[in-house]
Amino acid sequence: MNEIPIKLTDIGLKYDDFTALDGVSFEVESGQTMALLGHNGAGKSSLIKIILGLITPSSGSVNIMGSQGKLSHHKHKINLGYLPEDVSFYDKLTGREVLNYFAALKRVRPTRVADLIDEFGLGYAQDRQLKTYSKGMKQRLGVAQAILSEPGILLLDEPTVGLDPQASKFLYGKINQLKQAGCAVVVSTHELSLVESHMDTALIMSKGRRLALGTSSELSAGSSIKTGIEFAELASWVERDHYLRRFFIDGRLQVESAQKQQMIKYLVSQCQIFDFTLHKPKLEDIYHDLMMHPLVDQSAQQ
Amino acid sequence: MNKLTSPVLIIAAKEICDCSRNHWMGFMGSIFLLLSLSVTFAGSAVTGSLYLPDLASLMSSLSTISVFIIPLAAILLSYDSFVGEDESGTLLLLLSYPLTRSQILCGKLLGHMTVMLLATGFSFGLTAILLLLIGEQYQASELIAAFAQFLLSSNLLALTFILFSYIVSLKSTEKAKAVGCLLLVWFLFVLIYDLLLLTILVSDLSFVNQYVVNILIALSPTDLYRAINLMAIDGGDARGSLAMISQSDWGLAGTYALMLSWIAVLSWISHGVFKRKRL
Ligand SMILES: Nc1ncnc2c1ncn2[C@@H]1O[C@H](COP(=O)(O)OP(=O)(O)O)[C@@H](O)[C@H]1O
Ligand SMILES: [Mg+2]
Repeated sequence: MNEIPIKLTDIGLKYDDFTALDGVSFEVESGQTMALLGHNGAGKSSLIKIILGLITPSSGSVNIMGSQGKLSHHKHKINLGYLPEDVSFYDKLTGREVLNYFAALKRVRPTRVADLIDEFGLGYAQDRQLKTYSKGMKQRLGVAQAILSEPGILLLDEPTVGLDPQASKFLYGKINQLKQAGCAVVVSTHELSLVESHMDTALIMSKGRRLALGTSSELSAGSSIKTGIEFAELASWVERDHYLRRFFIDGRLQVESAQKQQMIKYLVSQCQIFDFTLHKPKLEDIYHDLMMHPLVDQSAQQ
Repeated sequence: MNKLTSPVLIIAAKEICDCSRNHWMGFMGSIFLLLSLSVTFAGSAVTGSLYLPDLASLMSSLSTISVFIIPLAAILLSYDSFVGEDESGTLLLLLSYPLTRSQILCGKLLGHMTVMLLATGFSFGLTAILLLLIGEQYQASELIAAFAQFLLSSNLLALTFILFSYIVSLKSTEKAKAVGCLLLVWFLFVLIYDLLLLTILVSDLSFVNQYVVNILIALSPTDLYRAINLMAIDGGDARGSLAMISQSDWGLAGTYALMLSWIAVLSWISHGVFKRKRL
């Protein structure tokens, strides 16, 4: 049984006249994390709701754990974890009561709740009403709620909003643990530097369309952002070498992804330089570049 | 909460917990108690010595006040049950759980009905016990029967307004709008419609016969409630303009049946609205 947990094909979604999603396709395999990136209103939350089966797309097909069409019929068999964006839980209940409530609805044993409260560092506040919680504490509770049942599909809509750096790090640690167990994870976020080292693929969206989809290296290959190369005595090398001088910008060599191999070969064989630093384009730079020159993703245009 | 396994019971238990935390239960329970005690003992305050009204007029004054206050209490209890969860995002979350929409609806309804039963049972029950203890003129069986009838009909009335609240709550996008809309419904059924009905009853128009009055009563849960209580007291021996209400041909069982059909129709509508609700 090697079904792809999440497979969306050519999804379109209309709210009345407004087209929120247009021809979006992607899949997430078991043990993979996909970062869902895009500006506010790009359609990230809508996409997650479609995966959940909470809204039906106007066109395209949704395939969750191999079951096609209306998810609601299959929902009962699929172990899903979900954190909505901006959720605020029941103010009058205590932290522990909220988790117990959701655990009971998912038929998760109560000891798991106690463990999660401890792990998320909420033990000291577990018997206080939620109205006394800070935003970050509520968000921790929300994330704990999402992973209560050790889900096979985990959908987090902007989970790191309001979390302190330690809590975010802990969250991604948790995600990685679930990944090891074969969970397919979709994380929508605006904190690119945080998600970069933990994601396997990224889907970058703009105005309801797919701008790019791929691993970090595929994304940087597709973008026009250059890779920087630095090594000792670079300046004097550039003085002597005409070929290198062509790529020398702002104190380092800058090459397009396509020329990177060639440049490295040149450095190693022609210049006998083996000790150099590669500055690969950051996800953030790729993202900004894509937002400004949006016609890169060939497959999305077909 | 974890000992419960049925989702309906889990949701109901959470609603009850919520209502006791936000002081609805304490507040409404006290108001009901205050009202029923003041209706019962107002006569004593006026005459200066213990004077208790006879059962028929006591029940009639109680139901006259309840017809205003019970729908209002029901609205306050449940106006934000869906719009509130929608605003805070928990409705979205609940729907991603292995639950059906009818389970969510039933759970909330069960919770709210339990809270209503507890509040009315406590306050009116206490009044009945007091009367049994200090009022010698009442027959215990008659008194208990009258209060049981009153409690049953009051909770059925509450149920209709809880369902009204659900429908409005499901349709609204903001809490404030839901409250406003529900107060309008309350105003319409409790004040305007009754006023119109009473005007028609006293103005003695030629086309108004008992048949028309029957239809008009059936079309409003608050008037069904009045009718039930008038009929229950003394089998149609009511005074004044309300006499026609109590003479309606439905009979007590028929009136209850009409009340239950209101509840059935409203449940069906709220389920339909929930099913079609866009997220
Ligand atoms: N219920 C709705 N009715 C109408 N338009 C909506 C609704 N939900 C979202 N939209 C619109 O769809 C677009 C995508 O929204 P969303 O998926 O929430 O974006 P994101 O999560 O990426 O910020 C936005 O332009 C938003 O205004
Ligand atoms: Mg969003």
